[in-house]
Amino acid sequence: MTLPAGGRDSVAPLPAAFERLFRAEYTRVVGIANRILADQGEAEDVAQDVFLSFYRAHPADAGYAPAWLHAAAAHAALNAIRSRTRRARRETAEAVAPDAAAADDPAAVVSATETQSEVRAILARLPERSAALLALRYSGLSYEEIAAALDVRASSVGTLLRRAEDAFRREMR
Amino acid sequence: MNDEQIERALAMSELKVDTEDALLRFRARAAGEQIVPVVVPLRRRAPTRLLQGLAAAAAVVLIASGLALSGAAGSILKIFEPRQIVGVPVTPSDLSYLGGACANLQLQQCLGTYGTFTWTTPPQPKEVPSLTAATNAAGFTVQTPASLPSSVTGQPRYGVINQSSATFTFSADATRQAAAKQNRTAPPLPANIDGAKLFVTGGPAVVMVWGAPASASPSDPTANIPTLVVGQAKAPVISSDGVTVAELQAYLLSQPGISPQLAAALRAISDPTSTLPVPIPAELAISHQVTLQNGAQGLFIGDNTGIASAVIWQRGGMIYEVIGSLTEAQGLAVANSMR
Repeated sequence: MTLPAGGRDSVAPLPAAFERLFRAEYTRVVGIANRILADQGEAEDVAQDVFLSFYRAHPADAGYAPAWLHAAAAHAALNAIRSRTRRARRETAEAVAPDAAAADDPAAVVSATETQSEVRAILARLPERSAALLALRYSGLSYEEIAAALDVRASSVGTLLRRAEDAFRREMR
Repeated sequence: MNDEQIERALAMSELKVDTEDALLRFRARAAGEQIVPVVVPLRRRAPTRLLQGLAAAAAVVLIASGLALSGAAGSILKIFEPRQIVGVPVTPSDLSYLGGACANLQLQQCLGTYGTFTWTTPPQPKEVPSLTAATNAAGFTVQTPASLPSSVTGQPRYGVINQSSATFTFSADATRQAAAKQNRTAPPLPANIDGAKLFVTGGPAVVMVWGAPASASPSDPTANIPTLVVGQAKAPVISSDGVTVAELQAYLLSQPGISPQLAAALRAISDPTSTLPVPIPAELAISHQVTLQNGAQGLFIGDNTGIASAVIWQRGGMIYEVIGSLTEAQGLAVANSMR
């Protein structure tokens, strides 16, 4: 990519409404993508793409903006994890589960890493909405926020979430 | 596994995100790629080119599904009947050879690259005035969406594509000539494929179009920009008198310009006799598998801006599709409401 003279710091700000939206939602969008990808670098790439898609086509002050970004982050991350066959190899080589990060026991680290890989593989296999539900819920979104993102009734989120968790449990066995 | 264990399984280390640095990167990218933001409230209309592309894809699938079995001899074996649908990303380079062979040609002429395509009964799309008329013409119960996004208003217009039939005969001579026109050398057609015939069965098909101008024909969705297209057709069935899907797949994969990625994607189809591969332009769109509430497995296709999308699925020997200026959630909601 060719940057304007003076480097990226000299690039003019974007419309104020968009920059407010970016600052308000970027961390959460990265968090949702990272919940699925287990890789912050990749999650930030996904977040950049998601914001770019939004920036191209939607007004920053649209009421649906946060919900759109949350859903797009989940779907884009799920797409990424499904399409990358190299993921399993890289996770095996690099990923360390949070609980094992500080462990001194190499066997525990290996076991936690395998669990991480399995969890991501399960998310990739689950039906799209179930995987997105889990990612959004465990990223801290409220039922109302999940309902807005996935275009379902808030009163249905609890039921759908339980089904998604059941499906996740079955896959983990 | 309890909720706490699920939470632990999905847990990630706390992120340290530098939002300001990310915003600087975003500004630089937007400037470098000369991307301009939307400055007026968006009407949920898809880019013309993309929606026309999706509509054209719909037309191809429906017309292909509108082919019916020609009277076939006893030696004919059914070699293809779709029971699942997958997306296969293709790049411009993947299509450089076939695209060159088929530039500005109709489907029939394009297939002439590999042999002779003959309509026994050609498809004749027509508009009908009502759902009842569409049901009567199609001969099956036409499903309609019980709920529509608020952006889709008014009554749909109905198009019906009749049952029709076609035969395709492979020809080594035609293959050689088509390759020579592009100064290419195609792999020779295997002897057992040369002269073999394919018979295609399926159809009829019904298309419902919302938002189409009154002057446009709903049976030709490429002629206008509808907000929503819902189509359904009897799934195509292909029979052959001597060639197998595995042989055809092997020959396709040997064509010039097929990338290793596309070849791998096609080889990864575990059962090519029952899997309908839908080409997805890698530069323009994404796709992934979806499961509808009724358990049907389908394919979601969305453009990179997230504005236009399509959902295609198969159930009970029928192929359905929902295409429009819809988010994924809206497209799936329409698909799930089909009754």
